Amino acid sequence: MSNQENNPQQHTQNKAVFIVFNQAHTERIEYIIDIMKIKGYTFWEDVQGRGSVTGEPRYGTHTWPEMNSAILTIIPEEVVPDLLDNIRKLDEINKDVGIRAFVWDITQAY
Amino acid sequence: MSIYKQAVNKPITTMMIFAAIIVMGFYSLTRIPVDLYPEINPPFISVITTYPGANATDIESIVTRPLEDALNAVDNLREITSTSSDNLSVITLELSWDANLDEATNEIRDVIDRIYNFLPDDVDRPSVFKFSTSQMPIVFYAVTAKESFPGLDKILDERIINPLNRVDGIGSIGMIGAPRRVVYVDVDARRLDAYFLTIEQIGNVIAAENLNMPSGNIKMGKTDYQLRVQGEFAESHEINDLIVGNFQGTPVYLRDVATVRDTLKDMTLDEKINGQTGLRMFVMKQSGANTVRVARDVTRNMEILKKDLPPDVEINLIMDTSEFIKGSINNLSRTLMFAFFFVVLVVLFFLGKWRATFIIVLTIPISLIIAFVYLFISGNSVNVISLTSLSIAIGMVVDDAIVVLENISRHIERGSSPREAAIYATNEVWLSVIITTLVVVAVFFPLTLVGGLTGVMFNQLGWIVTITVITSTLAAISITPMLSSRLLTMKQKITSSSKLSYQNTIEKLLHRVEDFYVATLRWVLRYKAFVLLSALALFVSSLLLTRFIGTDFMPQTDESRINMAIELQTGTRVEETVKTARKIEQIMMDDYPEIEVITASSGSDDEGGMFALFTTAGSNMINFMTRLSPVDERSRTVWEIADGLREKINAMPEVISLVVTTSGGPGMGGGENNVDLEIFGYDFNTTNQLAENFRDRISQLESATDVTVSRQPDKPELAVLLDKEKLAIHGLSSATVSTMVRNRISGMIPSRFKEEGEEYDIIIRFEEHQRNSITDLEEITVMTPRGEMIKLKEIATVEEFWGPPAIQHKRKERVVTVSAKPHNTSLGELANEILEITREVEIPHGVAINVGGAFQEQQEAFRDLGLLMILSLLLVFIVMASQFESFRTPFVIMFSIPFALTGVIYALFLTQTTLNVIAGLGSVLLIGIVVKNGIVLVDFINLMRDRGKALNEAILIAGKSRLRPVLMTAFTTILSMMPLALSRGEGSEIWSPMGITVIGGLVFSTMVTMVIVPVMYSLVAKSGQRNKTMHLRKDFDFLD
Repeated sequence: MSNQENNPQQHTQNKAVFIVFNQAHTERIEYIIDIMKIKGYTFWEDVQGRGSVTGEPRYGTHTWPEMNSAILTIIPEEVVPDLLDNIRKLDEINKDVGIRAFVWDITQAY
Repeated sequence: MSIYKQAVNKPITTMMIFAAIIVMGFYSLTRIPVDLYPEINPPFISVITTYPGANATDIESIVTRPLEDALNAVDNLREITSTSSDNLSVITLELSWDANLDEATNEIRDVIDRIYNFLPDDVDRPSVFKFSTSQMPIVFYAVTAKESFPGLDKILDERIINPLNRVDGIGSIGMIGAPRRVVYVDVDARRLDAYFLTIEQIGNVIAAENLNMPSGNIKMGKTDYQLRVQGEFAESHEINDLIVGNFQGTPVYLRDVATVRDTLKDMTLDEKINGQTGLRMFVMKQSGANTVRVARDVTRNMEILKKDLPPDVEINLIMDTSEFIKGSINNLSRTLMFAFFFVVLVVLFFLGKWRATFIIVLTIPISLIIAFVYLFISGNSVNVISLTSLSIAIGMVVDDAIVVLENISRHIERGSSPREAAIYATNEVWLSVIITTLVVVAVFFPLTLVGGLTGVMFNQLGWIVTITVITSTLAAISITPMLSSRLLTMKQKITSSSKLSYQNTIEKLLHRVEDFYVATLRWVLRYKAFVLLSALALFVSSLLLTRFIGTDFMPQTDESRINMAIELQTGTRVEETVKTARKIEQIMMDDYPEIEVITASSGSDDEGGMFALFTTAGSNMINFMTRLSPVDERSRTVWEIADGLREKINAMPEVISLVVTTSGGPGMGGGENNVDLEIFGYDFNTTNQLAENFRDRISQLESATDVTVSRQPDKPELAVLLDKEKLAIHGLSSATVSTMVRNRISGMIPSRFKEEGEEYDIIIRFEEHQRNSITDLEEITVMTPRGEMIKLKEIATVEEFWGPPAIQHKRKERVVTVSAKPHNTSLGELANEILEITREVEIPHGVAINVGGAFQEQQEAFRDLGLLMILSLLLVFIVMASQFESFRTPFVIMFSIPFALTGVIYALFLTQTTLNVIAGLGSVLLIGIVVKNGIVLVDFINLMRDRGKALNEAILIAGKSRLRPVLMTAFTTILSMMPLALSRGEGSEIWSPMGITVIGGLVFSTMVTMVIVPVMYSLVAKSGQRNKTMHLRKDFDFLD
């Protein structure tokens, strides 16, 4: 609530959504972001990592050849559930490919 | 940006690039000449020197020896051989195969220049002669005629040879046995004596009368006339009316002392085609010309030209080398199509998807067509070797595409969009695809470095497979992902309940095979020691089998022709030789209907040009050339017929030796297989005796046939021994007397008779019946300078004795060669038996013995192959060690190579094929293919281990998941080789051993790889991920 005062341009609460996904999902993520009219985001094409529970390592090595990409986007709070829902649908096509999204609060912004 | 990403994102560019390649390939294909083998320039250079009047021994010591000594210093010289015969010395230098023949020729000329001044004055300047396969005749015709026979020479020259010479690519056209017109003046020796005339006087008169002389100009009025004295004979019978002398005031006409015959030259060579009089005509092509095209143009033109010939002249084809070439090429092209078809079937069987199959199969034409671009650019031809290389490559070029496509479809099945799956899936595998290609290249590339005769064959194979495999890899990471992104779709859950659907039949079967394999793996991992021991037993037992496998140099091919050289007693008159030839012809016609054309030439011809170099001629020799009906139209093979003929002809008492050959000339592949036993030694008697001894012993061997001794038996000679003192009394010299004798017996050619632009020799000599006994010789009248007429016997004696044979040298030493051909056995075995004999026989002092011939070439080729194998093994090891970053893993994989050899041995044994150079080559190729299978499996085990699976579990998982790709690549290779191994058409004998080797080796080694490699892996790789973690923990003990 206090953020609102510090940031006069923002009318609603903003959230940061960090989506990390198997590269093979890139096009669909781009499509989802486009249709949801999310304009701003940051994209890392090659990121490494592994899932905490079932997710296989993505190292881009001979052993684990696959790689992840990551997107960080700051969107209004009310868009977040739709986005997460879309991501869940995407994940359900095949759990093995792998996609996860995490949401943060934005405390300050310039 | 990576290739595959570019390719997927720019499908049109990708397509256009490959379209360009295909267009270039087709363009090249239309431009490449078709030939049987790559063009080879055998590195043989001959130096031919004549020294008129010298006998063989003189030639040897005066001409051959100094030349040999000087020529021995030529660079790149491998071996120097020579033959010194009467009047002639022929030295042949064999250079190494990579020598520049032009440079060598220049060097040889320099050497000759240096030494020439030291040779006697009468020695003609040595001529240097380079041999080339392109000088071998490519088409042979038999020409028969009845009434027109006497003029056949001229008819053919005008109506056939001249027009035919205009055909592009023809080098020259020659004739053997053409009748030649001559004008004989047969002089009666008695009348000559009566009129106090000599042959020389008559000759001088003829020469003086048969003359046209330009004698200046005469200016009359306004005109300038050329003046000519015209004395030439317009008709040959004018010679009769010449006045050759005066006797008691009356003129003596030539017809008083001689008869003039305008006729055909006396027979020294008799040509019969299917028993009819005729001659042989042969066509040689220019170097580099397309044999098939030249032969086709020649036959086509011949059909047209034939129509202008008199009706009794018939032209029949005896031999057309292009037919064998066309047959072989068509046969191989068919093989290639079958291979393609089998590969498609295998891919479809394992994938069960039409689109995926299409994508994979598409890499075949792309990678194969690039081979034609290579052939075009490097100036090579489409030949047996390049086509075989293609059929070897065809099974391998799909492998990379299979791996890429498999990964892409796995991604698509997991739900990725085809476009992205294509990019990311290719990204995952492109490196390992390149590495497996490197392994194949490591095996094939060394082939391009092999030298020598074998190198000629292997270089092309090496380049073609290397290039096609690299292209296939490039295609696999560009056009395969591109097409996959377009054509593959997300797989719908197929619920087809049809019993015959792919899922319910093949898929089920494959699952069952996988389950069975996993069960087997589990079992062998439990009884490792037992498995290894039985594998070892298998390997050792196969080594024991090698004793039953013969070795050969090159496989023999059935080229549908038999050539025979038959030797009768030396000194046999040509008329007698001809009778024998007719008898043999009769045997052939009666007993062997398969023989379609028989040409027989008996005796020798002083002409025939180049061709005479390849045949032995002499009045006692008969040469047969025959053509058989095509392979598929007869039940007896060329060898069976040859054996039958051999038996029948050897039974004839007059035949001294017989050589039957079933291949055309000195070529490669299917060349003559013989073992030469060389006896070096100076003394003729000792070496002759030894050679006879060996000949007898070798002839008794069951396994030897066509045993011949290279040194001709001594020739009977009549020598006129002049008494120098008596000569001097009469004012004569050896020179004048010998010329006189020659003029009377051999004849004198004082002038030539001209008619219609052609010149014919006028030969004056004694009548036949006055020159065919020793008495006749002794009765020859010699005119002394004082005008006295004395008989030859007054100044000389005529004696009969044996003249020295032609003297052969090898490495500057006198040599006699006893050669034998293997009969129902292999070359290697025969060589061993002959070696055995040489040990039994006591070799006199000063004589050395060596076993050579094709056997020696075989030994050299095997040594080359051995080196090649070692080189390939090393390179493969290097590639694998760097891929796995380990010294141990490559060993595990290479452990399967010995079992590939086991498979080869069993396959050779079961099919009763001999181990020859081609089979050896097949075994070298196996290394690459076998190792590739191992890599696929071990790589995946490593992967599973790195992903933290326990050893045995990793092996089982890897085995199950890699079984299909391994079986698939193995089956594509095996089935693509199948047509090569089973083909029975023309020329197939050359390549079927390779097919047999690869199939045998691959079937066996695939089975073994899938069992032994996992066992070895589990033995060697005890310390896996777990030990690594332990090791790592030690570095971080500060955390404890």
